[in-house]
Amino acid sequence: MKKIKLLSVIIAIVLVISSLFVVLAACDNGPADISEIIEDGQKMTTAELIAKAKEEKGEFNAYGNTSRIAAAMTGFLAKYGEELGLDSSTAHASKQSDSQIYTLLTNEYISSNNSKAASMVMIQDGAQLVLYREQSKILQNYVPSTMKDKVDENDLVPLVHQYINKLFMWNKTGKGADLVVNNVWQVVDDDFMQGRTIYFKSPVNEQVNMNFLIMLTKDEWANKLAAAYKALYNKDIVLDSDCPNAGYQWVKAFVKKASFAINSDTTICEDLNKSDNAGNLGLFVLSKTRDLTTNNLQVAAWKEVENQLVSVNPFAGFMYPMYCQLASNGPRPYTAMLFINYLMEEDGFEPWAEWGAYSTNPDIAIQQGDRELSFWRNTLVIEDASYISNKKASVSDFVSGVIASK
Amino acid sequence: MLNSYELSRGRKFKNWLKNFFTQPANIILVVSLVILGVFTLFPLISLLSDTFKVHIAELMFEELRGSTLNSATGFHWSRMLFSDVSAMYFWKPLGNAVLMSLLSSAIAILYGGVVAFLITRTDIKAKKFLSAIFVFPYIMPSWTLASFWKNFFQNPDIGSGTGGMLYNLLGIKVSEGFVYGLVPSAIVLGLHYAPFAYILIGGILRNMDANLEEAATVLGASRFKIIRRITLPIVMPALLSTFLLVFSSSMSAYAVPQFLGGSSGFTVLTTSMKQFIGYGWYGQGYIMAVFMIIFGLIILGLNQYFTGKRKSFTTVTGKSGQISYIKLKGWKYVLAVILVLLSLFCSVLPLITFALESLCVTPGDYSALTFDFWISKVPVNNNGIHGVFHEPQLWRAFGNSVGLSVCCALIAGTVGILIGYAVSKRRGTALARFVDNLAFLPYLMPSMALGAAFLALGTPLGLNQTFFLLVLVGAVKYLPFASRSGINAMLQLSGEIEEAALLVKVPWWKRMVRIIFPIQKSTFISGYLLPFTSCMRELSLFTLLATGQMTLLTTLLEDWQTWWQQSANALNLIIIVTVLLINFIVNKLTGASIDKGVGG
Repeated sequence: MKKIKLLSVIIAIVLVISSLFVVLAACDNGPADISEIIEDGQKMTTAELIAKAKEEKGEFNAYGNTSRIAAAMTGFLAKYGEELGLDSSTAHASKQSDSQIYTLLTNEYISSNNSKAASMVMIQDGAQLVLYREQSKILQNYVPSTMKDKVDENDLVPLVHQYINKLFMWNKTGKGADLVVNNVWQVVDDDFMQGRTIYFKSPVNEQVNMNFLIMLTKDEWANKLAAAYKALYNKDIVLDSDCPNAGYQWVKAFVKKASFAINSDTTICEDLNKSDNAGNLGLFVLSKTRDLTTNNLQVAAWKEVENQLVSVNPFAGFMYPMYCQLASNGPRPYTAMLFINYLMEEDGFEPWAEWGAYSTNPDIAIQQGDRELSFWRNTLVIEDASYISNKKASVSDFVSGVIASK
Repeated sequence: MLNSYELSRGRKFKNWLKNFFTQPANIILVVSLVILGVFTLFPLISLLSDTFKVHIAELMFEELRGSTLNSATGFHWSRMLFSDVSAMYFWKPLGNAVLMSLLSSAIAILYGGVVAFLITRTDIKAKKFLSAIFVFPYIMPSWTLASFWKNFFQNPDIGSGTGGMLYNLLGIKVSEGFVYGLVPSAIVLGLHYAPFAYILIGGILRNMDANLEEAATVLGASRFKIIRRITLPIVMPALLSTFLLVFSSSMSAYAVPQFLGGSSGFTVLTTSMKQFIGYGWYGQGYIMAVFMIIFGLIILGLNQYFTGKRKSFTTVTGKSGQISYIKLKGWKYVLAVILVLLSLFCSVLPLITFALESLCVTPGDYSALTFDFWISKVPVNNNGIHGVFHEPQLWRAFGNSVGLSVCCALIAGTVGILIGYAVSKRRGTALARFVDNLAFLPYLMPSMALGAAFLALGTPLGLNQTFFLLVLVGAVKYLPFASRSGINAMLQLSGEIEEAALLVKVPWWKRMVRIIFPIQKSTFISGYLLPFTSCMRELSLFTLLATGQMTLLTTLLEDWQTWWQQSANALNLIIIVTVLLINFIVNKLTGASIDKGVGG
């Protein structure tokens, strides 16, 4: 009895302590408002920002949903490190997924000791960003004074650092030699796709792929898809009972047709390029093709031989933004602003400077052989973060349902 | 009268308490209960409370729009368990996960158990070689084995549309079901965790007193009867422990089913959970984690029930025992060849492919090879990554990973021995049972959720991005290995050994250091190696905590493998070789090795 009593007392104490930790972890005290600092920073020149950044203490950390942020940080340290008293032991950039970034920032926001917290982030998932910007104070927008008149006004809040595109491509060798895709309904057509496969990273694992599918259910794209269907088959589309519009109908057909066997765009690119995959297709990031030693891939949006642009009705793929944001409880907001300035300039964009990545700073030239951002804006489906945020729950259920029924 | 009665009760309790705390085993149990309680119950409570809260990204659901953040809701539970989408997101993945885990447990127990038996109880050839390479698949991150499986069996008619090794060399095409989906996921996990069965079952068989079997032989029992009536009952706890470990590990395995999902995507609870957490829908994601824990607890309960019912088998008595090997005659060569080939396939071939892949100028194209990804002093890609030998990021991560793994192993290993001692000394008491189970609880928690809980615990205390927090979570997560090792080793030790020292009043610490540790030295030291190995190749647990300066080899590997495959393969090889090298050094210095890790 005594042992049981002792055990009960100890367990009760442990439960109380554990619960206290839960409460402590949930306490939302939050840091001081940094909007004034940002307002000041947005008016400062680079020299003024450097002067302010020099006065800051603590580590300079950044998170990004892009591995190349590490290379950008190395470049930043080479340029400003000595002046700011920062080196690779006091400044660091880590690759994290979007959900990890939000989790980290949420925790860091309520921490009273912020010396190691991130001061800036690069984020891809605009749908969550919309909600975090509305519902929390963990992120702040900053527009460099040098960029506010250069960058397209739709890309200023939240600040878009770059756009990345994913395009329809196919292996042009063997049975792919005569293949032409000029209407997206072809890639879901049973006759056209007879003996062919189209590779697409599963939207369940790749947020931007799911976002693309969600975008197609928007009236604007659904109407374009209905028109494209009529253009290809010369008749109006007949919708399934579970498809409210032509967008859903295409998404349903595409998800059924696509192979999710390869779980990385790098591998899709490498495998599709092999002769085994002659005539097969893929929808993946254009930048991956840059590393191929022998390129057997044809991009749907252009003909390489004649260097002739090809119009795919109604889109040749999709494009998504990468955002730069300041973390509200970072120890070095001025350094973070200086870093964003650097990222928006040519040397800061260097790690991404290749096919398929487009800075929103119009002064940064595109890579040879690629097309201008303005061309892609009219050729591809572009994310509308607010729409995705509104529809994500219902459309991802729809997509998951189609995958489950495959 | 009443007062003096109460006083006497109070005094009695005080005396009992004084007496209770004079015994080292009790002190260890109480301290462990408090510390483990906080570090295991906190994540559990935190996880459970998240399933009833509204998180920011969950405002995307129409049903939750307008809700206050962090307010209470039952929406996540009703949507996951009782809505139109329950079958798709929850019940079907749950069914798949259970099936996959049962299959992988059966494969691991059968394969690992048979190899353990053949090596410890028969005169099969090539024992040393088999014993050394059998644990390789456990040292490799599980996804690397999955990747190897896919690359080996892939053919142009399925999956990635390209030919794998088997097709390219022999033109053999296997069916899609053997490359993608439930069966290959279970096989790969079974192969990955077979070393558990080998270590646990082999450990007991190796230390089993041969007198038991010899006595049966003298009494005329047949070999089959000896195995059925003596060997199997003795290894039964190890079989159940293996089942518990492999089932729980497979239930929370993410990389393998995700990697081998195939063209339509094979979903289990973890892949579903990752999808929800990726969307920021933590409430629904963590419900899946809760169910993984519930399943683990059920198996832990069953394990307790069955091991509690059996009598204690003391197999290390301090007396020497000769092991009589079963004579396999000509089969000792045949079986050895089969096992060597199987082990080479699962253990050595993947390493060779990683090495080759790290030399390819273009990934997957073996016609042009280079050592640049290993030795180049200038960047080998546009992200400024040098050859791995000259890459500063890698060496910083290497230092972090080795330092972290050593610290976690030392803490988990030592605490595990102490818990093993205390639990075995107080076997059968509620306190011992509770601590025993509590020490195992972290193993049942999905790594991702445990990491998130420790982030929430550490950040308000200013511990985020500190080495201390990483060590803490690693030690807690891998304590189950060490505590199992400690408990099993101590249960095998006859009480008489310590009692003799107790009679001549040898203090507790001296008994531990001079008697108990030396007798089971190799098992205890081996018990340190398992947390070390697991820590070296762990990703999910540390992914949220290893940010900033605390980058680890595995977080770097995750980053690199998306873009820079040759560098990633070289890095993967470095992880595996480091673990093997440390295992080899420890083995040479102490006689301990990972293949003697758990179970004595």
